[in-house]
Amino acid sequence: MYSTLIMFSAFLFLAGAVQASDQLLYFEAQGIAGYSSQLQKPIYYSMNPDAEMQKPSVGFDYLKRFSGESGDWGTFALQTRAALTVDGVDGANNVKWEPQVYNAYFKVKTPGPYVWVGHNRPAFGLGSYFDSHGLLLRTLPIQGFGYDRDWGGGLYKDFSWGDISTSLTTGSGMPVYTKGNSMSAARISYGVLSQSNFNIGLSLGYGRTLDTMGYVLRDSKPQEMRLIGLDLTMLRNRFEHRFDTLVGRWLDQDTYALMYRLSFNVDPEGRLKIEAQPTYWKFGDEKNFLMTLCFSSQVTSHLTIRLAPSYEHNTSEKMIVMQLYYYWPIL
Amino acid sequence: MKTISKPASGYEPAGQSRQMLSLSINRMKPKLLAVRGVILAFLFILVVYTAAWGAVGCDLNDPDRDVARLFPESTGYKTIYTSIQKKGGEKLLSTVETRLGDKFHGIYETIDVPYTIYEIFANKKKIGYIHGVNQKGQFGGIQVFLVLDLQGTIRGFYIQKMTSQYAAKLRDAKFGKQFIGLTIKDFSHYDVISGRSSGKVEAIKNPAPEAEADFMAALRATKKNLILMDEFIYSAEASPSAQEAPKK
Repeated sequence: MYSTLIMFSAFLFLAGAVQASDQLLYFEAQGIAGYSSQLQKPIYYSMNPDAEMQKPSVGFDYLKRFSGESGDWGTFALQTRAALTVDGVDGANNVKWEPQVYNAYFKVKTPGPYVWVGHNRPAFGLGSYFDSHGLLLRTLPIQGFGYDRDWGGGLYKDFSWGDISTSLTTGSGMPVYTKGNSMSAARISYGVLSQSNFNIGLSLGYGRTLDTMGYVLRDSKPQEMRLIGLDLTMLRNRFEHRFDTLVGRWLDQDTYALMYRLSFNVDPEGRLKIEAQPTYWKFGDEKNFLMTLCFSSQVTSHLTIRLAPSYEHNTSEKMIVMQLYYYWPIL
Repeated sequence: MKTISKPASGYEPAGQSRQMLSLSINRMKPKLLAVRGVILAFLFILVVYTAAWGAVGCDLNDPDRDVARLFPESTGYKTIYTSIQKKGGEKLLSTVETRLGDKFHGIYETIDVPYTIYEIFANKKKIGYIHGVNQKGQFGGIQVFLVLDLQGTIRGFYIQKMTSQYAAKLRDAKFGKQFIGLTIKDFSHYDVISGRSSGKVEAIKNPAPEAEADFMAALRATKKNLILMDEFIYSAEASPSAQEAPKK
């Protein structure tokens, strides 16, 4: 709770300070509620009570540009939440607040690549550039294969044909641990999505990483990671296609995972979206399949509502989760 | 991986007594009620999806690459955030709508849409601007960026987002060349509702007749972009207070 108070004090300070044209500050709040056929009771998370997202939360999203006489040279980003964890897996609901830090990095422009330091997306797969911060559908890192954010540093450079990025991070995800763990990753991609509606990326990852879920350390011993990944995004007319695959060793287990997300934009403004995402994986001896649908509607000025039914094969669990997502610019 | 390991509890097997059957039905009720509650809440909120729009901004996705390509002589850029609400509120919105010849509507045209203006520099000297706007297209939103010199003349035209199968034709350099040299004055005769125009704007040809809606959207976005830049930047720079020499 003390950390949460500090976080909100920082938010109030920033809200007062943001009048300049080189900063953006957004307030974020979300409500999550659903039902689990396995627990046979209401749930207040979209995946697991230990996972960092999605849970009911309030937070803010801050971005500041630093400029000199000849233009921008740096960016600072801070994205935090106070999330409510309602854990009813083992019986009565246990409720606690959890402060969360997502983006917390400083990025500097150099004559060569951009350099970032802090908590940011590692350079591996679709998750390295596709922001799932407010979404219900999970990328492979959010599903457990990698980290949506990790602590460390990285490089990024655009070219006319695509881009290259690398990162060297702790391999611990949301929390910071130094138990001999680390993760190196690199991605090279071809195609400029904003110009050709197409991008294909090849990623490599190596290291000894920790088994964490959200801020929970499930095993303190770093485990082997050797992964190769391929991701592809194609946009055509009303359809968006996203593929992400990886194969190799993850947490000392032979692993492969495959995800395909099909999105359909119903209206010309892209306010209504219908999505389907099958995900298939093998982790050690366990093979599993997850099918999720998602219906999204940008309902009001700052409110998006989503409804996501899902089915997981191994547990035969059927879940249905609703999200109310509020994102309000404070200019 | 990341699944709940607790085994499913399920309900009683077949062949049970009437009492146990009743218990089973009662146990199902909360489950059905909860699922129905979630679905009903979703549908309820969905039906109030009317005229309360969202505010969606428009940034360059890859500013380093794009600025270098659109302004080859540039050495850097500065990012500025603004909005109609910040710059003049309802009065400014009314002025922009009058100049556009149409009301603002939809999620891309609200008073609090955040606009990103890129000031382009060659060393320490400002040489122009890049600014983008969102516009409703045929298959979703499109994003139209204008590259402008210090006088507000178009020196480049760039469609960042367009998912139509005919996007390549509207993104082709030949199409964009038709906008070079045009100014807000040329677009003042363009009717964004009927699509009728005269002069230089009338001469802009649609390379993809199958994508007429996106072509019209691109023209509306261009006019809107020029008006906004005129209100945000050029009129402010040309105002007497901005031009007043410093007192000795």
